[in-house]
Amino acid sequence: MAGDRQSVRRVGPFDRDLLGVLPVLGFVAAVTLLPVALLFATGTLDVGGMAGVGRILEDPVNVRAIENSLTEGGASALAAVAVGYPSGVFLGRTRVPGRPLLLSTLLVPFLLPTVAVAFGVVEIFGPGGFVSAAVPALGVLGSGFGGIVLANVVFNAPVVVLLTVVGVESAPTDLEETVRSLGGGPVEAFRTVWGRPSLLGALAGGLITFLFSALAFAGPILIGGAPWYTLEARVYFLAQTLAEGPQAAVLAMLTVALLAPATILYVWVASRLRSGASLPRAGPPRFDRRSPAAWVLGSWTGFSVAAVGALLALVVYRGLAPSPQGGFAQSFAELFTQRVSLLLGLSTTSAVANTVAFAALSSLSALLLALTAAHYLSRRPRAQRAVAAVAFAPLLISPIVLSFALAEFVRPALGGESAAPLLIILSQATLALPFALQAIGLTLSRTSPAPGEAARALGASAWQAYLDVELPSIRSGLRAAALFAFALGLGEFTSTNFLANVPSTTLSVELYHLQSVRLAGPADAVAALLVLVSLAVFGAVALWGEGRTDVL
Amino acid sequence: MSSEPRLEVRSLSAAWGSNEVLTDVSLSVQPGEFVVLMGPNGSGKTTLLRTIAGFEWPTRGAVRLDGRDVTALPPHRRGIGILFQEPALFPGRSVWENIAYGLELARRPDAEVQQQVAALSQLLDLDGLLKRAPEALSGGERQRVALARTLAPGPSIVLLDEPFASVDPERRAGLRAAFRAALRRLGVAAIHVTHDREEGLFLGDRVVLLLSGRVVQSGPPMQVYRNPSSPEAASFLGYNVLQEGGRLVAVDPRDIELRPPGEGIAAEVEASGSTAEGSSIMLRLLTGTRLEARVSGERPPVGAGQTVAVRWSRSVALDGAGRTRG
Repeated sequence: MAGDRQSVRRVGPFDRDLLGVLPVLGFVAAVTLLPVALLFATGTLDVGGMAGVGRILEDPVNVRAIENSLTEGGASALAAVAVGYPSGVFLGRTRVPGRPLLLSTLLVPFLLPTVAVAFGVVEIFGPGGFVSAAVPALGVLGSGFGGIVLANVVFNAPVVVLLTVVGVESAPTDLEETVRSLGGGPVEAFRTVWGRPSLLGALAGGLITFLFSALAFAGPILIGGAPWYTLEARVYFLAQTLAEGPQAAVLAMLTVALLAPATILYVWVASRLRSGASLPRAGPPRFDRRSPAAWVLGSWTGFSVAAVGALLALVVYRGLAPSPQGGFAQSFAELFTQRVSLLLGLSTTSAVANTVAFAALSSLSALLLALTAAHYLSRRPRAQRAVAAVAFAPLLISPIVLSFALAEFVRPALGGESAAPLLIILSQATLALPFALQAIGLTLSRTSPAPGEAARALGASAWQAYLDVELPSIRSGLRAAALFAFALGLGEFTSTNFLANVPSTTLSVELYHLQSVRLAGPADAVAALLVLVSLAVFGAVALWGEGRTDVL
Repeated sequence: MSSEPRLEVRSLSAAWGSNEVLTDVSLSVQPGEFVVLMGPNGSGKTTLLRTIAGFEWPTRGAVRLDGRDVTALPPHRRGIGILFQEPALFPGRSVWENIAYGLELARRPDAEVQQQVAALSQLLDLDGLLKRAPEALSGGERQRVALARTLAPGPSIVLLDEPFASVDPERRAGLRAAFRAALRRLGVAAIHVTHDREEGLFLGDRVVLLLSGRVVQSGPPMQVYRNPSSPEAASFLGYNVLQEGGRLVAVDPRDIELRPPGEGIAAEVEASGSTAEGSSIMLRLLTGTRLEARVSGERPPVGAGQTVAVRWSRSVALDGAGRTRG
């Protein structure tokens, strides 16, 4: 009997922890890995095996989509690093008034609905746009390649800034001061101490820009049109418009394979970056009024922030501005009319309700899953890599590939078209899971186990200690994860557009439809509404997430 | 004949936002002098050191080095060495490369680099460690390498910001002696920051007491210790601060005598225990004032709860005149 008890004790704790992580592994396997694997396998079989795959890869339109993905992704990454790196260096190394607020606002563009930003670029820089009408030369930024890259840079340059700041701040302050006191100038300090980590941050930012841009959907669809379709847009077009499912599945497989190295490299670089992160001892030095470099970098940062702010302000202004037919915010009033309801098949009020409900449920799901996985990861260092690989797998799967696989293999099992809301929630939760896991995992890793152990020593059960001590100690990470997942859900367009039917239309899908039928006024109003709602959520992240920006 | 100070700080003030952390600080350091800057945590010691080194800017005042105003110069143009609490050795460089770093930045000839590194490694007993990586060294060895690296380019003055704080206590005394000997041998002036009274009094040619961002006292160590100028200075130096005859006085815990009840001021023993130098007894007077007495002997002569009488043989008036009653 004694032997039995001993063996139960030895195995027990591991089993309990494993039970905790099973829902996460099961969710990722059932919602992502299995459907996607089935999609790739059946697609390959349906086109006639590898010979068929070869033929698809020789199709000039598909080759063009691959080229577009790589060139748009590459150009956007280079442009975002060129724009973001100087500002990241400035904000990471200079104490200026409002710096904490500025750093926490950097996630705003990332949280914006892609479709609203793409729409804004067209409205402002496109043919007859707000700015291009006044300065025709800037029209190059409103269509084709230039417009797509501009939209990608608006989204991603702030992320480059943020990751560069993380890199700069990870450089030990006292090491740099030692170099300076030994006679090394700013260039030597860069070379010896903070250059490498700052460039590592910029590299992580460049990689994530490349990934999001190579997989961009709203930009190529709304700004570029067919000649500029990325793989993501091409898969959507093949699957939804041409009903070429097998060919779309093969291209989806190629998309994952093509971008897997960059994804893996990003995860590795980001982990290196964070492993070196340390809190700066006394914060960065004050703005040096005597330094020309500080003025140049500061001016560039101010200009970049003002440019992004102006773009967002213009989108909101277009939605609220008096129209020839009516007064202030007339477009908003029109949005809620019978005319728009008849056109879309549901009212804008219902679209707002859908948007909020899907985002709330998907963020709750992502939060619960991430919390379970993060807790397991923090307790089982040796199992971390395996579980993290599974939990981060959704990063490898693009929104179109995910929604395509869900539509093909999960929708029939859940009752067909009526399952659209559930599928949207599942896809949004899957896409938010890695980010939520990152936010909670980092908070857990920085939390001392001592208070929990003290609670246990005082007689609390493991569950009590978890509820009373451990959970409250990571609440900033929980809030950041929940709000970030909610914001992603609010603006998610790519996979929602793929899966939504008429009753499950969301605001971002509504904007796309209104833009397609050239209903300019209501489209402006939806874009403004999306931007305002995202800004409100950002405000909540800044207020209640304690300025957490480490979700990337 | 008074020589020109190596370092002169004139009416220096500094602030963090609206919070002034240094107010009108003036001090000077003569060539070869070892000045200890003492004060409790948060008194502005590190800010003063960083402002002298050029890592923080003053809101007012000036820093002069060898008669030259360096207030506007960046850190790398000042020729001031600084050593932090943590050794901040460069990872990926050997001990030799760490020591030679500043010399190589200054593009000194190879022969001079070799000679200087050899001399400093001998002076600081680093001969057998030159090929090692910083990660393979103990805390004390790392700090000795950091000092050698700081001294190698021949700075005008060295600033030491609590360099022994991260060293094991049993190695601290030896390291302290090694640092002091090396600096004296090279004749390098230094400002050493510490909140450790014993360390400050042991090391300094002169002690400067910094309280709440102001220099409140300066002079030879024992002179400062024997004549605290204010209640705050007395408390920091370990004195009991008491009312005596209607005025404030400072009483050294070692000057307090314990007597049978009735032979002095009545006090209750709150706690007592042994220390390395004898016994420490915490007392409370009937007025509520708490004071400490230190007596010789391994075991405290009284225990908690007992009532005793206290007298003291010597006190320092804290009315600014610094009078001693013995």
